Amino acid sequence: MTSDVTVSVPARPDFVRLLRAVVSSVGARLDMTYDRIDDLRIAVDEACAQLLATAAGSITMRVTPADGRVIVNVCADAEVDPDAWPPPDVEESLAWRILAGLADEVHFELSDEGPVVRVEVQVQPA
Amino acid sequence: MTPIDKAGARTDDPSGDSVDLEEAAELDVDAERAEEEAHGLALFRRLPDADARAELSQLYQPLAEYLARRFYGRGEPLEDLTQVANLGLLKAIDRFDVERGVKFSTYATATVVGELKRHFRDKGWALRVPRRLQEAGMKVGRTVTDLYQDLGRAPTVAEIGKRTGLSEEEVLEAMETAHAYTTQSLDAPTDEDGAATIERLGAEEESFELLEGWTSVAPAIRELPRRERTILYLRFFRGLTQTQIAEELGISQMHVSRLLSRTLSQLRRQVSDPDA
Repeated sequence: MTSDVTVSVPARPDFVRLLRAVVSSVGARLDMTYDRIDDLRIAVDEACAQLLATAAGSITMRVTPADGRVIVNVCADAEVDPDAWPPPDVEESLAWRILAGLADEVHFELSDEGPVVRVEVQVQPA
Repeated sequence: MTPIDKAGARTDDPSGDSVDLEEAAELDVDAERAEEEAHGLALFRRLPDADARAELSQLYQPLAEYLARRFYGRGEPLEDLTQVANLGLLKAIDRFDVERGVKFSTYATATVVGELKRHFRDKGWALRVPRRLQEAGMKVGRTVTDLYQDLGRAPTVAEIGKRTGLSEEEVLEAMETAHAYTTQSLDAPTDEDGAATIERLGAEEESFELLEGWTSVAPAIRELPRRERTILYLRFFRGLTQTQIAEELGISQMHVSRLLSRTLSQLRRQVSDPDA
């Protein structure tokens, strides 16, 4: 049995809120603390901001609770130049700085579906 | 002073009883304004000198504040609006072309109003939050602080729900709302917020925007109010949690959360549109 939650929304800024709501709800379900949940929300914001810039049609977020961690995989269904994603020098970018500050692990990858930003956060239940 | 300030004063006294006095005052103001305009022009010619820029932004501060107040009462805290207006003002100062023969106050008004409108558009959904949610937001904010005191750690959503009698959904909804609303009574931000902490952090925090990753937004970071910069620093360089920052600065966690989201989205905008 899986406890993955997957949701797909149009790649538009006004839909990011829906993704934030979903990730918050999963966080609450895992009994994460309030400020940890907020970290997740800001991380989703940041991931989406990066992906929205790729001119995608939709954005799909998969939230996977696993082994004391929660993995948030945000993917845009965009065709990007493999040289353009992950963005050059991504580890020196502001986005990376922010995500790395919020999450324990940060990955920018190119999947078959399109560009991906994935973060992993310790659940640290109360 | 700006022409708009004068208009503002007039609406304050709509009776028309003191027309003569007002006209006299206007003449005075006109002379003063001509002098100020000349001074302003001299400052513009000195740009991009940082002192001239700072003086200009101070000179036109009342205009920015006036315009921010014009947009107040639509669900956005005045503090936020003033900040947006100030960023718009700086943008106007940097882009103004003295040779074009347009008055700066005219040009700046258009730019600042544009920024304010954009701010509202960006968070359009947030402007129609029902009263019920605003109240829930305040309740959750207070409870987070209380529970933190009791538990010695940040509470979970379930714990907040239990204490407030709100459902999990309502707590989460309130959390989202918190980013758009200021509850003045709880959070009333002042310049003294965390002054001691800010003092103590000193030089490292002063120059953190020069560190790797932040250089692309260094100018934007320097424009941030001191407190916002400190929050960024504590969160991303010291790795403090929002709750710890809230305690350091003596404000609520929700307030930290709100300031943090807002600051990050501002910086994000700066990165994606360096001219903004």
